[in-house]
Amino acid sequence: MRLNKKTRQQLDLLKLLIKKEITLRYKRTYLGFLWSLLNPILTGVVLFIAFNIFMRFEVENFALFVMAALFPWTWFSASVTMSSNVFTGNVSLIKKVIFPKQFLLLATVIAQLVNFIFSLPVLIGLVYFYGGSLTIEWLIGIPILILIQFAIVYGLVLVISVANAYFRDLEYLINVLISLLFWMTPIVYPLEAVPEAYQGILVMNPVTYLIQAWRDLFFNNTLNWNNISISLVTAAIVLIAGLLIFKKFEKRLDEVL
Amino acid sequence: MIKAENLWKSYPMRRDRPGFKEFVINAPKFLKDNNNRFWALRGVSFEVKKGESLGIIGRNGAGKSTLLTLLLGVAQPTEGSVTISGKKTPLLELGAGFHPDLTGIENIIINGVLLGYTEHEVRDRMNSIIAFSELGEFINMPIRTYSSGMVMRLAFSIAIHTSPEVLLIDEILAVGDESFKKKSGKALQELINGGVTTVYVSHSMDAIKKTCDRAIWLEQGEIRAQGESGFVVEEYLKAQGQA
Repeated sequence: MRLNKKTRQQLDLLKLLIKKEITLRYKRTYLGFLWSLLNPILTGVVLFIAFNIFMRFEVENFALFVMAALFPWTWFSASVTMSSNVFTGNVSLIKKVIFPKQFLLLATVIAQLVNFIFSLPVLIGLVYFYGGSLTIEWLIGIPILILIQFAIVYGLVLVISVANAYFRDLEYLINVLISLLFWMTPIVYPLEAVPEAYQGILVMNPVTYLIQAWRDLFFNNTLNWNNISISLVTAAIVLIAGLLIFKKFEKRLDEVL
Repeated sequence: MIKAENLWKSYPMRRDRPGFKEFVINAPKFLKDNNNRFWALRGVSFEVKKGESLGIIGRNGAGKSTLLTLLLGVAQPTEGSVTISGKKTPLLELGAGFHPDLTGIENIIINGVLLGYTEHEVRDRMNSIIAFSELGEFINMPIRTYSSGMVMRLAFSIAIHTSPEVLLIDEILAVGDESFKKKSGKALQELINGGVTTVYVSHSMDAIKKTCDRAIWLEQGEIRAQGESGFVVEEYLKAQGQA
């Protein structure tokens, strides 16, 4: 099938924006693209030292346990944090060039997804290090969960990026909110370790199910359809709401930038 | 062809945000004042026929650039409508999307695609863009190593190589050194004379008279005069002389 010229051009644009996002971020560093891998790994090491060595958290294979949740979380949090100033940081593009503004967001989220995919070999290495092996569930689970998380993240950044154009305070608030969400999600600890009285709060956090689904897959080699379907519903709601809100406020973006 | 019907455009009054303390003390006042809007355009209508060129003149803040952004479609009119047929090329801000760490060639590709071409089409024009820019070996260097004149030359070379049907220009002719200025002015003139529909915002009355068939004089968001460009320029200059 031959694409018409307009579609071809739009695809080229998206491709170039993604490429730019991936290659330029670390362009002038020595380690380059490696940084996107090193960041979550080093964070994982810090968490490992703090929780496994200092605090003697009783979890088996703690490194794998943390990384299994931390890598997908990094895709989530990095996309959300970066997207907050995607529009406020590209004013001349938005105000002087006609192109689908959401491409800038797609490029951010997809670039982070690429980082995530490149971090998978590290996880696989850990699995074998702890004497496990890959199962067929990985092949089924990874694409499904990637699609679900993509919808959730993209829906969220649609709202956050536009909202930050109207309320610049968000840019500063977002780091605190992300850090709050990090500790409110069972990433460094298992859900069961939380006193039952407080588990109710964590259970109301939709990201909990997504992260649990990833960990079920990477740590236990299982597809937890309960967590997956709750995440799927979340994804549908967030994506639709995000698209609607973006469509409504995008029109007046030029007035506030 | 361009048809603008009864265009109104308002912006929220962007006074400095109050500090938190003032905001808390005077909250009711600030919330009420929030409805103040500045009207940049108040009921502007005109038509530009295919192949015609229209000049827009007026003092700073008259609404000229706002009008161009509405024509380009990056901003929506608060009221009224714009109809444009044909491929639009903006010469509003040259080099939008340029990145300092990318080389000249890489920036040509990304800027060209942003202007509406496929990567393949941009590559087809690559040689002639590079030749026009006279950047020589620098084309393979990151543009952070360029002088600002060189960046503008590169940006103009890309813009002039898009084959537009509708050209929207916002006072950018002064690009680079004298010789490049002459060359770019000539290239632009050829494009306009070649039957491209043009809307041209400028403070250079000579350029308007020379380039445009008709002109519009905007003042405080309204059309003060329109007609044959020589006539409108005379009227405008007369009024400025009095003021």
